[in-house]
Amino acid sequence: MFPPLDRGFVLFVVCVLLLVDSFCLVAGEANALESVPDLAKAMYLNVEGYPCVRLLNLSAEIGCSNPGWKKIVAPIFKLEMIEKPVVNSFAVLVPLEEFESLLLRVSSDPKLAERIAGVLVESTGIEHRSLGSSPDEKFPQAAFAPYLNVSFEWNPRGSRIMWNHYNFPAFLLSDESTKLLQEMAKQNEKNFKAYPSTVAEFDLVMQTTKAETRDSASCLKKQTCLPLGGYSVWSSLPPIDTTSAEPPKSIILVMASMDSASFFRDVSFGADSPLSGLIALLAAVDALSHGSNLSELKKQLVFAVFTGEVWGYLGSRRFLLELDLGADSLKGLNGSMIEQVLEIGSVGKGISGGVTTFFAHPGQDTSSTNEMLNALQKAGISLGSDNVNIRKADVSNPGVPPSSLMSFLRKNSSVSGIVLEDFDTSFINKFYHSHLDNPSNINSSSIAAASIIIARALYILASDSPFLDLIALNSIKVNVSLVEELVGCLLTCEPGFSCGLVKQFISPSNICPSHYVGVFVDSPFETQHPQYADDTSRFVWNFLADRTSAPQKNASPCKVGCHESAEVCVAAETENSRCVKSTTRYIPTYSTRLKFEANSWHILPANASDPSGLVDPVWTESYWNTIGLRVYTMQSSAYDNMVLLIGILSTVATYIATLVSRTFLLKVLKHD
Amino acid sequence: MTVAAGLGYALIALGPALSIFVSVIAKRPFLVLTLLSSTLFWLVSLILLSGVWRAFLPVKSSASWTYAIVILTSVSFQEGVRLIFWKLYKRLEEMLNSFADRTSKPRLFLTDKMQIGLAIISSAFLLIHTFSMVIAFNGYAESRKSDQFFVPVIHMVASMMTLINLVPGGCAVGVPLLCFFAFVTLHYCWRTVCRRLIEN
Repeated sequence: MFPPLDRGFVLFVVCVLLLVDSFCLVAGEANALESVPDLAKAMYLNVEGYPCVRLLNLSAEIGCSNPGWKKIVAPIFKLEMIEKPVVNSFAVLVPLEEFESLLLRVSSDPKLAERIAGVLVESTGIEHRSLGSSPDEKFPQAAFAPYLNVSFEWNPRGSRIMWNHYNFPAFLLSDESTKLLQEMAKQNEKNFKAYPSTVAEFDLVMQTTKAETRDSASCLKKQTCLPLGGYSVWSSLPPIDTTSAEPPKSIILVMASMDSASFFRDVSFGADSPLSGLIALLAAVDALSHGSNLSELKKQLVFAVFTGEVWGYLGSRRFLLELDLGADSLKGLNGSMIEQVLEIGSVGKGISGGVTTFFAHPGQDTSSTNEMLNALQKAGISLGSDNVNIRKADVSNPGVPPSSLMSFLRKNSSVSGIVLEDFDTSFINKFYHSHLDNPSNINSSSIAAASIIIARALYILASDSPFLDLIALNSIKVNVSLVEELVGCLLTCEPGFSCGLVKQFISPSNICPSHYVGVFVDSPFETQHPQYADDTSRFVWNFLADRTSAPQKNASPCKVGCHESAEVCVAAETENSRCVKSTTRYIPTYSTRLKFEANSWHILPANASDPSGLVDPVWTESYWNTIGLRVYTMQSSAYDNMVLLIGILSTVATYIATLVSRTFLLKVLKHD
Repeated sequence: MTVAAGLGYALIALGPALSIFVSVIAKRPFLVLTLLSSTLFWLVSLILLSGVWRAFLPVKSSASWTYAIVILTSVSFQEGVRLIFWKLYKRLEEMLNSFADRTSKPRLFLTDKMQIGLAIISSAFLLIHTFSMVIAFNGYAESRKSDQFFVPVIHMVASMMTLINLVPGGCAVGVPLLCFFAFVTLHYCWRTVCRRLIEN
């Protein structure tokens, strides 16, 4: 028909394109992705966030969860957008200062709750530390108090937000993620009503929501949750000799707790409450262990570190129950010989204006507790400084502050016990059970002061003689660098559990310490070498076993057990394992209302002989598969539907075109 | 990308081919068989090619001219295979259509409208190959040099043009150009068919 023009035209186009190509080959390079995983990484951005999970008790649920089976996808906007009714359900990016007020509003206003698809909490750079915030109650665990005044406000800043039920996922963002998401929220506001927008995808699907089990009893039955618990540790200084023919000594029990909690599951350092007490206890054990005449002390010192105290005083209650039952884990300990109990509570904020003050809260006002108070005061004086005071707590207090001693007093109200705290009538700690209770909230000198006072007071009490050996007393010194090292290891992420002191004893599974008690994974029958004890428990066990044992030459390395029954294997996970003579054991800690039978947990009926068990909520945590947070850009659904329409149209158009051309050709053929 | 969009992109890429298959090929079982055998032949040629190129991997993505060489050799090889296939086919002495699917590209491009771009490129190449086959076989049958020359040139130029997509913003130029080339090939094919019919 027109060959020369057509051919020429094609040749011309070809030449032009080859020219263009040659330019392009010299031009720059765009993003080069080389594989499908690269593409996935470029499209989806995993955001570092700390979740709040679903916990259940006997009557209700608390915490956060995706409302169903699926992941929640919602565009990211700042908190102010909630005032605009146009935006329906979105992921709220909320600054730390307004987080509490938002959650309180959500609890009281269900319509507001419907508009929130998920909550992302910024971790602001500027520390708003002046006001303080506490997600716990105003009287934490008031039901366990051994006295009637349960409206006393030990924690005046408590907002209760961690004990409420939320039907949406919530994450705390890390510093880098905060900046990223602030950018995205700003971009979304600019593009408001115009896509593409950046969405956040929350994966916080909880098994108990999927299985519709809404309380502990049903979820334990259906095995969609696990009870909270862990491994408490007890040790005696010097080691208890069960073969000895001597009459047993009366016991002074010193206790602290090693678990904390916060609104977000994995961020709870609990620096002041209660880990400062734990560090003071460990440093005191270290100070006392260097004394030379421990076996000549008239009383036996027993140190106990409980876990699960935040969730119904699991550790202390389990300890008392097993003491009564004469269980294996407490072999060698005679409960009736416990004469005095000293609990070390929060001691990290005792220094103010250059003066160190600690308050002794007695359980009862008896001669025994006065003796303990005197010992503490003498220990304070022996430091030789005017600036150290041990005061008795205000008599207008209704009783002891929330502490493990409450479990002892409920069981036997005549127990002689004192809780040593850095506060008098209400918590000094402005961040009680908050994720902000980190080392900037405490003073390690305060902990060191508490620790030396405790060590010397214990020496005074245990020697139980009218003539005080001042030389021996003054030789008890606390290793301040040990205290600082413990603060760095247990309360920070750098160095965290990768510090030398921890690595000396265990091979940790995480670097960042988290003091949430966690769930009881295993069957609770192993007391010597539990497989699932968490890093903190294992470190405390090894530290106490090491410090309460006599130094040995020619120690034999061990893997799990030692030949002699009085020996334990210290640092079994490292290369420096050795068998030492020590009485240090784990106590599997879980609620006294639970029993493990036939491979599952059963809730026991309430028993009048266990008064604390009557008010135990029996906390469990839901199973979850993965928890994650990611962001990506998404198009509007109108755009997607348009693409589908174009695809269908082009398919149909081609079909019609082939039919048309075929009829045309047939017509042409017929004409020939 | 939701399911709707995914389906849409798949239809944009393969819809025209699917329509052609349903309206022209599906009715004749022999055509279906020849289509399958030619697909197999094409895949085998691609495997052989990738086997040869395995020795030179990984290709440094910073040097674009290496991609040009890959395309040059690949296209030349495929044109050679096309000739061989014609010779094999001639023994069957039948007219056919074939679908060729380019499956392995040694690189991926990320732009804003990446999915649309890829879908349109796939569709354009599919149509180019379809119509090129008709033109080529016609050229071989009639020993017309212009037809035999047209197909490899169009194939080479269209493939080289995809390198434009490597430049930022290049897709806006490259994709429409490719569609234009598909249209040119279609037009050329149409002219060839008309000419054949008129001669008969």
